This record gives sequence, structure tokens and C-alpha cells, in this order.
Amino acid sequence: MNATFRIRHRFERRVLLFRGLIFLFLFLLFIRLVNLQWVQHEGLLLQAEQNRISIVPLLPTRGEIVDHDGRGLAVNHVSYQIQLIPERVADMKQTLRRLTHWLHWDAARLHEVKQRIAHSRPDHPVLLDDQLPWRQVAPIAARLHELAGVDVQAGTHRYYPYGALTSHLVGYLSMAGPEDVRKGILPMEKVGRAGAEKVFESELHGRLGNQREEVDARGRRVGVLQRQPPVMGKQLRLSLDVDLQRAASKALGHRTGAVVVMDVHTGEVLVLLSKPGFNTNLFITGLEAKQWKKWLNNPHRPLLDRATQASYPPGSTFKPLVALAGLRDQAPIIAHGTTCRGYIELADRKLRCWKKIGHGHVDLHKAIVQSCDVYFYELGDELGIKQLRAEAELWGFGKPTGIALSPEAKGLAPGQSWSFRRSRTWFRGQTMISAIGQGSVNATPIQMARFTAAIANGGLLLHPQLKAGATPEVDRKIDVDAKNLDRVRKAMHGVVTEIHGTAHAHLWRLPWDMAGKTGTAQVVSMPQDGSESNSSDKHKDHAWFIGYAPYKAPQIAVAVLVEHGGHGGSAAAPVAAAIVRTLAQKEKQG
Amino acid sequence: MIAWKETLRRMDPMLLLYLLLLGILGLITLYAAVHQGDTGLWKRQCLYWLLGLVLFFGICFIPLRSVALFSWPVYIIAVISLALVPWIGEIQMGARRWLNLGLFHIQPSEIVKWALMLLLAHWFASREASSLKGLGGAVLLSSIPVVFIIMQPDLGTALVLLFAASAMLFAAGLPWRWFTYGLITALISLPVMWRNMHAYQKERILSFLNPQSDPLGAGYHVIQSTISIGSGGIFGKGYLQGTQARLHFLPEQHTDFIFAVLAEEGGLVISILLLVLYGLFLSRILTIGARASTRFSSLVCIGIATIFMLYICINIGMVSGVLPVVGVPLPFVSYGGSALITMLASLGVVMRVAIESNGRIPWQRPGNPLA
Repeated sequence: MNATFRIRHRFERRVLLFRGLIFLFLFLLFIRLVNLQWVQHEGLLLQAEQNRISIVPLLPTRGEIVDHDGRGLAVNHVSYQIQLIPERVADMKQTLRRLTHWLHWDAARLHEVKQRIAHSRPDHPVLLDDQLPWRQVAPIAARLHELAGVDVQAGTHRYYPYGALTSHLVGYLSMAGPEDVRKGILPMEKVGRAGAEKVFESELHGRLGNQREEVDARGRRVGVLQRQPPVMGKQLRLSLDVDLQRAASKALGHRTGAVVVMDVHTGEVLVLLSKPGFNTNLFITGLEAKQWKKWLNNPHRPLLDRATQASYPPGSTFKPLVALAGLRDQAPIIAHGTTCRGYIELADRKLRCWKKIGHGHVDLHKAIVQSCDVYFYELGDELGIKQLRAEAELWGFGKPTGIALSPEAKGLAPGQSWSFRRSRTWFRGQTMISAIGQGSVNATPIQMARFTAAIANGGLLLHPQLKAGATPEVDRKIDVDAKNLDRVRKAMHGVVTEIHGTAHAHLWRLPWDMAGKTGTAQVVSMPQDGSESNSSDKHKDHAWFIGYAPYKAPQIAVAVLVEHGGHGGSAAAPVAAAIVRTLAQKEKQG
Repeated sequence: MIAWKETLRRMDPMLLLYLLLLGILGLITLYAAVHQGDTGLWKRQCLYWLLGLVLFFGICFIPLRSVALFSWPVYIIAVISLALVPWIGEIQMGARRWLNLGLFHIQPSEIVKWALMLLLAHWFASREASSLKGLGGAVLLSSIPVVFIIMQPDLGTALVLLFAASAMLFAAGLPWRWFTYGLITALISLPVMWRNMHAYQKERILSFLNPQSDPLGAGYHVIQSTISIGSGGIFGKGYLQGTQARLHFLPEQHTDFIFAVLAEEGGLVISILLLVLYGLFLSRILTIGARASTRFSSLVCIGIATIFMLYICINIGMVSGVLPVVGVPLPFVSYGGSALITMLASLGVVMRVAIESNGRIPWQRPGNPLA
């Protein structure tokens, strides 16, 4: 009895212990649950929210760029992209084969797509192809049910209807780089890289929106919780007139050169053309390295904006400035004139006039109309390099015009050059050469256009404006005697209207009365023997023409440069004529 | 013989109540776990409940003497089917654990636990645990299924079986010093076991020790389930409102990890309610065992309570991140026919114990179990 009692007692003790053990375990679990659900609740709730909520950026639509009349220069086209989520694809080989068939991928492209799939997370969408037109994605969209994991999405891409015609002014976009990302732009966004697209980036870009989405464990969107719509970029209306731009481009033809047309009152840029251009639409569809290299290696340098980034010796188009300096200084030659014998002797060398037989007696008017070099050699000699430099800088030479397109070349005013400042042996001859816009004088077409506008509007040096309707900004009101300015204007009128004017033969029957100045800038120094050496295009002179119209009530100033074009009158002046004709016709019509 | 009316009358109402409450809570939770996907699973689970309850009430009418007689054949059949698994078993979730019986699949390792408890209770009904024969036989009987299960490999179930067998030895009166010996042996054999473990088992244990080391791999389950539980807070996110469950961040949410669904949507309040229900339920089984009229009945109850306790503690422990991940269901809540039906069958045995203990003096010493 004692033994059985002991056994019974031990059993009951052990059951009790067992019960205790159960409660101990359950109590430990209770503590754990209190810890998780009470103490750690907030942190874990946050993690659960992070799990389920994904903030998806909503890209803004970029503002469109239009010309003065509202024609689209940079517009948004609807396009489609193809995505694929690898883990949802049943048969990858088959799927890729069918996509290859519809999207016309070559072997290299297919390889690249395969690499992209291999290197991405299986549950995340991989971008396979972009900027596709509807007709190309339509067969895929119709068969999406057979293509598990493949998705077609609509978006927009930039399109430049005028392509190469407006390439330098309008510019282009490219994917955001690491620097943009540091500034808060998303890697999948596009950013203006050149031209107006770059200058007005902040206006065009618009503001990013976002959407708080609830996603499931596979990253699929279940619902939208909150949405802040993106703000579309502002439309940008440029002062550019596509009609004029096209007329200028047509007149230039296949020649290399630049044309700038500026409103003489507001500084609005109506034409900003640099030829050759390049098709900016190629950037949008993913510019291939090959094409880029081709442009870089092209001897005609299509990527260079000749209107603002390249400076050339202005040649005779510089003479009105020298004349203004002479008038301001009341140089003796202004009063008495000189006699041109076709050359001037200076120590051991001869400086030649373009007209070998000489102009005979020349006064200021005749010197400009017929572009007599000898007259200006002597005027330059009388003025000296410092006077020339002062006058040139007054009219905006040797300094960027401040047009928003960058980087802008600043050109070179006479006496500003490194060789003048450093060398102790500056010869009179160099000053005299400068006075006909050769030697150490350089100007960009935009500088020449602004200079011409300032002559036309009475000495207001305007800030070039790209936007239509921008408030005019005067960089400087040049202190110039109205009578002096009038003499130069009359002479420039004579260039066009007088029988001996250098542009007369090329600018007849214009709808508007015009004033101008031709220029033929030597690329290599004039040979001493005076023989013509225009055998090769590379050494052919640059042809210039500057002018404004109408003569009595000026509206526009034009600067035309034709690289290696030859004579300014015959090569460059007709381009200005084409522009004036187009503009006059437009005004008549509307 | 006890008349059927008398049988019904003598049923333990508290056990029935706890079972009923657990069943309702379990089915409500299971619906939340599957309502977005296959609600057919929920309907099937209801069917399993019906089947299980039929079995439960059926067993209530079988005298314990016959149950004791069944213990040998049930054990042998369970061990044989366990031995067959490597040959004709089916692979699910990367491990070969299932037998296809045509109509349904069974998991022999699931049945062998209960069979071993039954057999050990029967074994010790007439033997002292301290006797060499008693202890040796019990160790041998336990080792056979443990070895098969380790071979499957299913470390979790093997450990559950070892722990449950030890609990039976403890209840049967094995002196304390033997447990000390056993513990020392276990500690010594740990390094050997580690070396013989499968890569995935090691991975699980390592990921348990540091879940953040592999947040998308082995640690993912535990990270997501602790997030689910913790994000539920005190009052929960509301029924069917759990984002972790609804959006499928929570893996295996209708089977082993279902507790996280309950904790996320019901919060601390419902989690504690479940723990309390489990506590009362286990305690009730022990009470029934303590009041049993024979040593066999008492030991059976203790064995069954042990298995339930292990299931509950291991499951909630692993889901809440304090124990490594082993495949163990949450009783009456997790989806699964095999587990539910065997659990209800075993409860039928417990209920029969309650029915047969008629207030007479409880058992006093080992004797003939069939007496």
C-alpha cells in the first residue's frame, strides 16, 4: 500500500510539474507576443507599410516648344514600350523568339535583351524596347494573353518635326545622368542637353508627381491609395520664325554657314541657323555611338553651332564700325578723303585693295559703298589700335552677346588678342589690317547681327532673346552722334542701291528697301603677288553679308555667313534677300 | 459496457466546449487566410472537421481496453508506412513525406506520433519505467520511428517525437537521474547531429539564429511573420484587413504560418485569447488524465497533451521568431486534413478516458492494462 501510494503520489507530482511546464511555455509565448504586438508594434507596423506601399513617380509631360507662330518645334508623340517580368514568363525562349519576329531585333539586339533579363530581378519588369509606334506593338498587344509576363505600356517621346533645320536652336534631350540624379531628377527622366531644351529646362520639365500604390508580395499593383498628379511643363514659344528659318536654309543650300535674323527693336531672334544641322530625332530613339562618332568626325562639324559658337574674321562687314570710330574721332581722312591706287605702301610691303586698279578719289560714303580697303587702311592708321578697340568693344565685339545658348564664342576685338598684349613689336600694318576686319579680329554671326541691329535702331545694343514676347533688354545705349550714324546708314543703303554698291547686283527687286554691307574675309593671308588662290574650297574666302530692312523703318537685322563661300555679295547677300522676301510676303498676307 | 446514452452523458463538457471554441476560432482564421484565393480549401477543411468529429464520437464508444489492444497494430502499420515513404512516397515542399492512398494523401510521420504515445501508454501500463526492461523496450519502440523520420528527413517531427517519448517516460515514473544522463548524451551528440544534417536544415537553424542574414531566402518567412504579428498591435487590423496576409507577404499563411494571420488581424487580444484557450484545453486533458481510472488511460492523456503542447508551442514559437522553422501545424487552426483528423481521433481517446473514469479510486500501480 505504501509503494502504490508512493507511485500515485509521484505521478500526481509529475502531472502538476507538467501542468506547470505547459503554463510556463505558454507564458513565454505570451511575453513574446506582448513584445512583438505592444513593444515593437510601431516599428513592425512601419515595416508592414513599407512592404505594401510603393511610391511610384509619375513623370510629367514635358512642355512643348513652338515657334513664333505656334508651329511645333519640339512636340510629344505617343509611343509604346514593351516590358517583361521574367518570373511570369512561361516559356522564355518561345516568347523572345516571337518578340524578335515582331520587333525586328537583330542578333546583337537579342543578345542585349537576354543580358538585360539575366541581370535583373525576376519579379521586376525589364524594359525590352522603347519608342515604338502603335503599328509595331499592335500585333503584340493583340496577343498579350498568349505572352504571359509581357506588357505593353503607352508613354510619350519627344519629336522634332523640323529635325536638322532647327537642331542648334531647339536642341535635344537625353537620359538623365549621374549629375542630374544628384540634383533630384530621376534616372528614367530625360533632360535637355542643348539649345532651348537645355536653356529652358526648368520651365519645360514640369514637376514630378507621385502615386502611393498598394502592392502585393510579387510587386503587382493592387490599388492606388493617393495620387499627386504631375504638373506638365510650360509651353515655350520661341521668337523663331520657321518660315524665315526655312527660307534661309533653302538659300544656303548645301553650303556650310550660319544665318542670324534679329528684331532690331526687341532683340528677338527670328532666325538662328547653322548648317549643316543634325537630325535631333536620332537622340530620342537612343543615339547609337556610331552615329555620334560620325557627327563628331564629319569635317563639316554639324554639331557646332556656327551662329553662336564659331567666330570668323568679319572682313569688310567690319568697315561700318571703323567708319563710326573715324567719325567719332573726326579723323583727318573723313574730311579730306584719299586716293586709292589699288594698294598702299608700308615700309617693305604693299597692302592691297581688293580692286587692283584702285578706286581713285574716295570719301567715306564711297569707301563703304565700294568697300575700298585703302581708305580703311589709312583710317585705321590714323585712329590707332586703341581707338579701334574701344569702338569695337562699344558695339559688342570681343564679348559674348549673352544669348542664352551656351557655350558662346566671344570673338575678338582688334587689339584684344594675345599677340597684341604680349608682343612688343606690334606693327602699324597689323592695325591697318584690323581696320578691314582681317588679322586679329573675329566675330560670331550673332555679334554681327546685333551690331547691325544697333546701327538700325540708333545705337541700342540689344540682348538677344529666344522667347517670343520677351521684354526687350538693352545691354548698352551706345553714345553715338545721330548724324554720324546716319552717314554710315546712308552708305550701307548705297551698298545695296547704288550702281557701284558691292551688293547691288545681288539684291535687286527687293520688296523692301534695304541697307547692308558685304564682306569677303580671307582665310589665309593675301599673297604678296596678288594672284588669286581660290583653287581649293578650304582656302576660299568666307562670305559675309550684314544688313537691315526696311531702310526707312527698320524691322530686322540680318547676318549671313557662308564658310568658304567666296564673295560676300554673290554668296551671302542672296540669303538675306530670300529672308526679306519671305518676311515681306508674310506681312502682305497676314 | 456503458450504454450509449450514458456515454454521451458522461462526456466531459469542458473539453467539448474548448474544442468547439478552438474549432470556431480556427475556421474563422482559416477563412481569413484563404478568402482571397482558394475558398475551396476552407470548405474542404469544414469537411475534414465533419469527418474528424465523426471519428471523434465513434472512438468515444470504443472501450479503452480495445483501444489498448489496437495500440500494437496501429503502431506497426504506422511504422511500416513510414518505412515505405522513401520508396513510394510523394514529394511535397521539397521533402518526401506523403503517401498516396488513392482517395487522399496521408503523412505517416503525423500518425506515428499518436501511435507511439498510445503504444508507450500501453507499454508502461503494466511496467515500471525504472525497470531495465520497461525503459529498454520504450527506448527501442521510440527509436524505430525516430530513425525513419530522421531519414526522411524531418528533423522537427523527430525532435517532437523524442520530446514526447521523454515526457511519457517522465510520467511513467522514470527517475530523475535518467533524464540527466539523457541530457548529457544529447549535448555530446549535438556536434555529430550537426554534421549529419542536411544543408536545408542547417540553413533553417542558421537563419533562425540570424534571420536578417538572408532576408529573401530562408529568413524571409520569419521576418514576414514577425512583421505581421507585430503590425497587428493590441487590437489588430480588423478581420480580413491584414495587409501582410491579404497581399501575400506572409508565406504559407493557411498552413504553418496561420497564427500570424490571426495575430495581425486580431491583435494581441485575440492572440492571448487563443493562448488562454489552448492553456485551458491542455490543462483539461491533464485533469482528465489525472482522474483516469487506469494507468493506461492516464498515460495516454499525458502523451496526447504532450503532443498538443509541442505543436502549439513550437508553431507559435517559430511564427513569432523564437524557435527555428520546423513544419508543425497549429492545432485546429492550420489547414490540413491528416493532422486535424488524427488530432480529433486522439481527442476521442481522451474523451473515452473521461467517460470511463466514473469517480472510482484512480489507478494505483502498474498492472494488467486490460484488467
